[in-house]
Amino acid sequence: MVQSAFKISLPIMFGFVPLGIAFGLLFQDLGYPWYFASLMGIIVYAGAAQFMAIGFLSAGLGVVEIAMSTFFLNSRHMFYGLSFLESFGNWNIRKLYLIFGMTDETYALLTTIQVPDSFVKERYYLYITLFAQFYWVLGCTIGALLADILAFNTDGMEFAATALFVVLLIEQWIIVRRLLPFIVGFVSSVIALAFFINHMLLVAIMISIASIVFMRLIKGSES
Amino acid sequence: MNELDYLIIVIIVMALSTYFTRLIPFVLFSPGRESSILNYVAKSTPPMVMMILVVYMLKDMNYYSYELVFTFTAIAVTIGFQVFKRNALLSIVAGTAVYMFFVQI
Repeated sequence: MVQSAFKISLPIMFGFVPLGIAFGLLFQDLGYPWYFASLMGIIVYAGAAQFMAIGFLSAGLGVVEIAMSTFFLNSRHMFYGLSFLESFGNWNIRKLYLIFGMTDETYALLTTIQVPDSFVKERYYLYITLFAQFYWVLGCTIGALLADILAFNTDGMEFAATALFVVLLIEQWIIVRRLLPFIVGFVSSVIALAFFINHMLLVAIMISIASIVFMRLIKGSES
Repeated sequence: MNELDYLIIVIIVMALSTYFTRLIPFVLFSPGRESSILNYVAKSTPPMVMMILVVYMLKDMNYYSYELVFTFTAIAVTIGFQVFKRNALLSIVAGTAVYMFFVQI
């Protein structure tokens, strides 16, 4: 099961390691000891928020502003949990960790894969989530440690994250086979881009969920 | 407050804030209380979010340059591999390699 989880988590590695390295490199510019980059990867574990933190730290922003900005930036994750209310199992440490580990990438992967019948779902999820965070912490650490030595030209490697989401989009289509959620997602994205470009992700997710709830209620009242 | 204290406090605050956003739905909704609308939302969210994430990744692209051409070439390669080989890793590596090639030449 661990081996299978490792194999299925590899696409996340291609996204997380380069992105983590990029974070580590930038973090190193602030002049703190390198292991704080790893620490952030371990206890904060949020890609976009960590990049945002670099700006905050160099500006010396207040703690309350930082807390609120982080909350707002990550609030899309509130909607991710809805898909896992049942499948994360009973309340225990494992569940608390699975919730902690829900980044865009793990959410995308876990909602798309089919867990083989012979595996305990929550454990399989746990291994994948652990591998994913390991890749992220590894990237953060490498970036911060090797800030001066790194010679490999990583330009363009950030495309791995886009490619991952494209792949999972195709897989979602194979699972779902209904055009509606994809159209709603696309239209919501365009609306959010047009009016709220700075908070595009959150706004698009809220519009799309509100729209399908609305459509569902109308359909329900007709029958 | 010295600089390291500040950093440590910021990290802790960010960790709590991030965890809080991820924890909220699990605290608000208990499984078992079957609500058909909530189930419907849970089922429809992944395809919608995946669509939104793809658009999000492409939003900062410069639409009036070659970037448009090679980004869509790389996406086409990714899609091609995924449709014909169904191997996520291969598709991602192939698409990213094409993209890196264009960016670096």
